[in-house]
Amino acid sequence: MTTAPPTCRTRPGWGTLLRTLPALLLVLLAVAGPWPAPHAIDAPITAPYAEAGDGAPLGGDQLGRDVWTRLLAGGRELIATSLVVAVLVTATAAVLGTVAALRPGIGRVIDRAADVLMLLPPVLGILLVALSWPAGGRLALVSAAYVLGVPYAVRLVAAAAAPVVASGYVEAATAGGERLSHLVVREVLPNLRATLLALFGLRFVAAVYVVATAGFLQVGPQPPAADWALMIRENAGGILLNPWAVLAPSIAIGLLAMSVNLAASALAPHGGRKAVTPL
Amino acid sequence: MAEPLTDTAAQPGAGATGGKTSVPSRPWLFAGVRLLGLLARRSLLLAVLLATLFVAVELLPGDAAMATSERGESAADIAERRALLGLDRPVTERFGDWMTGLPTGDLGTSARGEPVADLLSRPFPNTLLLGGLALLVTLLASLALGGWAALRPGGMTDRAVSGGATAVLALPEFVVGVALVLVFAQWLEWLPAVTLADSGGAPASWQMLVLPVVALSIPQIGWNTRIVRAALADEAEAPHVETAVLDGLPSHRVLLHHVLPGALPAIAAGLATSTGMLLGGAVVVETIFNYPGLGAVLAGAVTDRDSPVVAGVVAVTGAVITGVLLLADLVRAWASGGRL
Repeated sequence: MTTAPPTCRTRPGWGTLLRTLPALLLVLLAVAGPWPAPHAIDAPITAPYAEAGDGAPLGGDQLGRDVWTRLLAGGRELIATSLVVAVLVTATAAVLGTVAALRPGIGRVIDRAADVLMLLPPVLGILLVALSWPAGGRLALVSAAYVLGVPYAVRLVAAAAAPVVASGYVEAATAGGERLSHLVVREVLPNLRATLLALFGLRFVAAVYVVATAGFLQVGPQPPAADWALMIRENAGGILLNPWAVLAPSIAIGLLAMSVNLAASALAPHGGRKAVTPL
Repeated sequence: MAEPLTDTAAQPGAGATGGKTSVPSRPWLFAGVRLLGLLARRSLLLAVLLATLFVAVELLPGDAAMATSERGESAADIAERRALLGLDRPVTERFGDWMTGLPTGDLGTSARGEPVADLLSRPFPNTLLLGGLALLVTLLASLALGGWAALRPGGMTDRAVSGGATAVLALPEFVVGVALVLVFAQWLEWLPAVTLADSGGAPASWQMLVLPVVALSIPQIGWNTRIVRAALADEAEAPHVETAVLDGLPSHRVLLHHVLPGALPAIAAGLATSTGMLLGGAVVVETIFNYPGLGAVLAGAVTDRDSPVVAGVVAVTGAVITGVLLLADLVRAWASGGRL
């Protein structure tokens, strides 16, 4: 355990911190947003699609609700759901990927599963699950995003774990008769910290994408919930009257996706150059 | 999100091409057999996906008869519609019917009792047109941008292109679409914000295609530019490229004639993975621009909670993606010397 393989030799420096900062700030803002919100999210306080004015700095939405209030409240669920998906996928992939690297038979099964899922656009997969399970709500969304995300993540971890598994100390531990669980948890995973951190960032990016898209297609949060993606869909009709009702949540999602992606690529290990960037 | 390249089709062996000068008829035989093998493999994967989806939809609580029920409908009414839709038959029987119907173009029946294939036959070509154009734009733009960046590795251009590509690749298509509508349709008034269909159900003019195609392409251009850039960088380290550089060939010539051919398989595989994202994104973008494609059908299916329709859309998009992956297989075989 004393010699770390070369893929993990990234030490987070000031540059990394600087590039992860926007994402951290934005997540904090979105999570804390509902508290300073000046109005109730479902209380009409202006005319429908009213322009920005007194009491409503970003105007009103299609029912005259305060866009600013709904903007502040609209990110929490999106981010919480995405975080849950990213944590679950990364944790599962960490264990399964390491096992797959240690046991090639299991690795092949997982490879085939990823091959099959490649034929299914994530958006369609989530629609199908959400519609077939109408009572599932957020659970259906999380399960679908989880199932669709795991095979690729496992493949990534397995690829990163392969050189670790081939290194002398794991072979020694295997020869010493250590159990699979010991090998996974004590020998291999500690050496994959950098990869797992980067994987978590990338899965968070992917989750923000699918959760927001599901919200836009109205299979996620239901009205009158305040949700950035849902706000864009609901207010698209009044884009001429009060552009802020659509623009503000669009900017919020855009900033979130970009800053999280920036953070994820800052965390990625800068090992050998690869033809394919993992995502 | 686009996913890592997962192409695991067999690499063409050197032996298959070795005999082509001595026995002219043999390579075609080899190529034909290998093509059939690839086709069979890809079709099998598609069949497994569809079977998995059928089982998943079956295991999840709720069915089409329940989903379309109206307020105050009695249990007997729902049971009657369930019988009408054939939902009371054994699962295995319905599964067999659905799977055997697929190759003949029968995609089952929607919750409202219409054949799914009829529902999809008019909008599907429109979505294919949108996705195909976006794939073309993605290919051209990412080759140009990735190549431009690769010509000056580490320079300002390289960093700007790579940074820009990374920034846009995670943006959801509907956010890009909304921004485009605001800028180009509302403020500049250059292009129409909505797509009107002509009597045949196709978009009425080409201007109406511009914004949806651009909205769809931008995230994929970001993704593929990075793949092109990285594939070119990998290939640039090959010995024959070094020789070409030492021979004093101009850099654009080295790039086009010595680096690009070797990088093609990775680029083709990257584009193939983008196809799924493009088709998935298309249904979202169509909603914003009111484009007459599968997105409109899906939006209706969401309101009706009509999972047979969504399953049909998944089946046809899966078939399209299978076809594109097969093309990527062929590019790989061709680029690595096996004449297919």
